[in-house]
Amino acid sequence: MGRKNYWLVSVGIVLVSLFLPENAYAMHIAEGFLPAKWAGIWWVLMLPFLTLGIKHVKRVVDEHDPSIKMLLALAGAFIFVLSSLKLPSVTGSTSHPTGIGLGAILFGPWPMVVLGCIVLIFQAVLLAHGGLTTLGANVFSMAIVGPFVAYGIYKLFRKLGAPLWLTVFLAAALGNLLTYVMTAIQLSLAFPAETGGFIASLTKFMGVFAITQVPLAITEGLVTVLIFNLLREYSKGELKKLSIIS
Amino acid sequence: MLDIDQYAYSNNLRSIHPVEKTIFALLTMIICLAANSIITSLAIILLMAGVVIFGAKIPRQFFIKLILIPISFLLISTITIVISISKEASSFLYYLSLWGWKIGIQMENIIFAINLFLKSLGTVSCLYFLALTTPMIEIISVLRKLKVPRIFIELMSLIYRFIFVLLDTANLIRTSQLSRLGYSNFKRSCQSLSKLISNLFIRAYYRAKGLLTTLLARGYEGEIRVLEPEYEFSKKNLAIIFLVEVSLILITVYIGGDQFVIINT
Repeated sequence: MGRKNYWLVSVGIVLVSLFLPENAYAMHIAEGFLPAKWAGIWWVLMLPFLTLGIKHVKRVVDEHDPSIKMLLALAGAFIFVLSSLKLPSVTGSTSHPTGIGLGAILFGPWPMVVLGCIVLIFQAVLLAHGGLTTLGANVFSMAIVGPFVAYGIYKLFRKLGAPLWLTVFLAAALGNLLTYVMTAIQLSLAFPAETGGFIASLTKFMGVFAITQVPLAITEGLVTVLIFNLLREYSKGELKKLSIIS
Repeated sequence: MLDIDQYAYSNNLRSIHPVEKTIFALLTMIICLAANSIITSLAIILLMAGVVIFGAKIPRQFFIKLILIPISFLLISTITIVISISKEASSFLYYLSLWGWKIGIQMENIIFAINLFLKSLGTVSCLYFLALTTPMIEIISVLRKLKVPRIFIELMSLIYRFIFVLLDTANLIRTSQLSRLGYSNFKRSCQSLSKLISNLFIRAYYRAKGLLTTLLARGYEGEIRVLEPEYEFSKKNLAIIFLVEVSLILITVYIGGDQFVIINT
């Protein structure tokens, strides 16, 4: 391989990374990007989870007083605002926390399906991030896979007796990371490479995400640990009361 | 605070029935996605840009700024799809060799990418039409007519109201942190952000409690009832929507549909 090629490849990588994390919203699958078939499939796959989530929320509201509804709504607005804050970054590019890990630990995975779906609708209509035809796919990765992974890791490591900071860090970082792995899977299922098919396509998308998402996932993990420590120090009572909605 | 939201309340098409606007946006979106043709996508982008800029009287610069939002995602993803890796060089228009592998671009992939890019922008402009002309409250009322579960609708309208309060609080905290050099380096940024978020959380919690108290004092029993503005369907608008959609389908069938295939082969 010639010198010129090395040079071209490195220019390419620099160009791609310049375009890349304009913001983390850039990873919502944009409106109309998925072919009609896949947009439909993800909608169909997402709906049973949403129905169960709504059932869970309804049961919680019915069992308790109406104050739970306010709490749930504030939790939803909190997640929306969280995802519009800038995440500190070493490279200088701006990005936003997903709030998936924190939300799943604080509010539980089932309410997160419903709240996440609402937040994604608002992000599409009010901020122009994501879309309606791709809502199914985005809900599946960001409001179903992400929260359940984060919550699962949190419960598992608590049971194993791992230190709390490590548990929260892993839940938030892996919740963030696996959301994007899911997005990569969705994109490569819809656009398999001509040679090598799904796997080749997945390698390409994962390669792009690895550069951008791994540092972001680690930052989100760190910030979530700090938030969790602050909350535990100053607001233990509120956290206990909150545990009823999950 | 949220520009799109402000335009949704103050645009020139505000008084049109929200169901009509939703039907128009969604039908066009579905046609764009199903047509899968460069010509139809271009026609839809122009149509929606025209309706938004001249019909709804949204400033041109703002619409262009919105169109640029999904560009970064579209560029990265289409580039990732277009570039293919293989061992043979025969099918490539242009390629680089790297450790015996050929990384390059194929002609048919370029056409595929252009089509994908325009199709996405077409549906995005349909979404923008809906977002810029119809306030969220009216979109929620359309969802209510579609018999979406009540708890979902209720949470949606509550969350919509709370977003602005919390955004305001977050902005205030951030401004005061910034004025004290709270984001001057990476470590400090992490600390400041986590303080902001944990405080925001606690404030949200107490705001929910406060709000509940005020609602209870006004006879709240678990449901907020609001009067919805009444709209009338306009036969003229429905006819226009019907004509536009039919002509889009005709464009697809007679000009656009085969276009892609012809270039491709």
